[in-house]
Amino acid sequence: MAASMTSVWGVRVLSKIIHGHLLPAAAVRHQTVRSRFLHTAPVSSSAVSVSEEPDVLYQRLSVRVKGHDKAVLDSYEFFATLAAQELGLNLQKAFEAPKHIDKLTLLKSVHIFKKHRVQYEMRTHYRCIQLSRVTGSSARVYLEYIERNLPEGVAMEVTKTAVEKIPEHIQKPLWDDGKQETPSQ
Amino acid sequence: MATSLVRQTKLLSIVTSQFNSAACFRNIHCTAACLKNRAARIRVGKGDKSVTYEQAYHPHDIGHRKGWLSQHTSNLQGEDEAAERVVEDVFIRRFMYGTFHNCLADEVVIKRRGNLLVICAMMIQKLLPSKFYFLIGYSEELLSHFYKCPVKIEMQTVEEKVVYKYL
Repeated sequence: MAASMTSVWGVRVLSKIIHGHLLPAAAVRHQTVRSRFLHTAPVSSSAVSVSEEPDVLYQRLSVRVKGHDKAVLDSYEFFATLAAQELGLNLQKAFEAPKHIDKLTLLKSVHIFKKHRVQYEMRTHYRCIQLSRVTGSSARVYLEYIERNLPEGVAMEVTKTAVEKIPEHIQKPLWDDGKQETPSQ
Repeated sequence: MATSLVRQTKLLSIVTSQFNSAACFRNIHCTAACLKNRAARIRVGKGDKSVTYEQAYHPHDIGHRKGWLSQHTSNLQGEDEAAERVVEDVFIRRFMYGTFHNCLADEVVIKRRGNLLVICAMMIQKLLPSKFYFLIGYSEELLSHFYKCPVKIEMQTVEEKVVYKYL
């Protein structure tokens, strides 16, 4: 648990550097915390992972939560938007998709009385939170924090739209090369 | 009992004869055809029956005046394994009812957070705290071995059952 906490702090600092929103006070606080760890045990060097490969860039990070209770989803939306603002992520929009109602009509009685039925329904409410232009490491940190604090009875779906380079074989169109294609029979 | 039955059959025959003469042959079946839903409701009586908040409100008040007793995601649209959760819930409720004999003040609330199963119970202060702690540990251990997931019991004790109203 302690190792994961230090890694979260470390990655958060890294994400702040990438975003360019480096608050000097916060940076100093993080550095003093890390120096304290340096004195006690040499674990802080593994907390911040710096790799050569570039970070994945997400054009849009869409988090969709669904639940039975609208009030619970309201408070979760407030929590998620607050977390996004505190981490410095761009909140594109936070909206409510229309609810879905599942209705069942069953017989009221055990044996006969076909004319008398009972109706039940299950309502599923949705909330969508969309963040735009997120890096991979900050997305990981944000999603881990959000997922750990999901209330019971609420399910979450995450859709990430990544930005990738066009693969080399598609970069130039075929007709530009000047090759003559044989007509097929 | 016999007089009330006769009175009810007489009422039923008067009511049904106005609509359809063929239905008055059903005089003996004075049950579901005329009465409303009976599920999870305590009928209004003399005024001596004490009733908790959970028991006082009927199932159509769930989501409006009542909360959910069992919170999991399998009843949402696009999620599955609802029946397995229901079977687990029934077993857990019977287990809690039996382990803490006569100590439950209200219904057990079951919450599922990821893999974790949280059982929230309100107890009457009938046993010593050390006995309560032993029973909590015993149920947590047994249920976690049975369901292969971490189980936590959050317990709150009350001096006596909280009465909402008398019916």
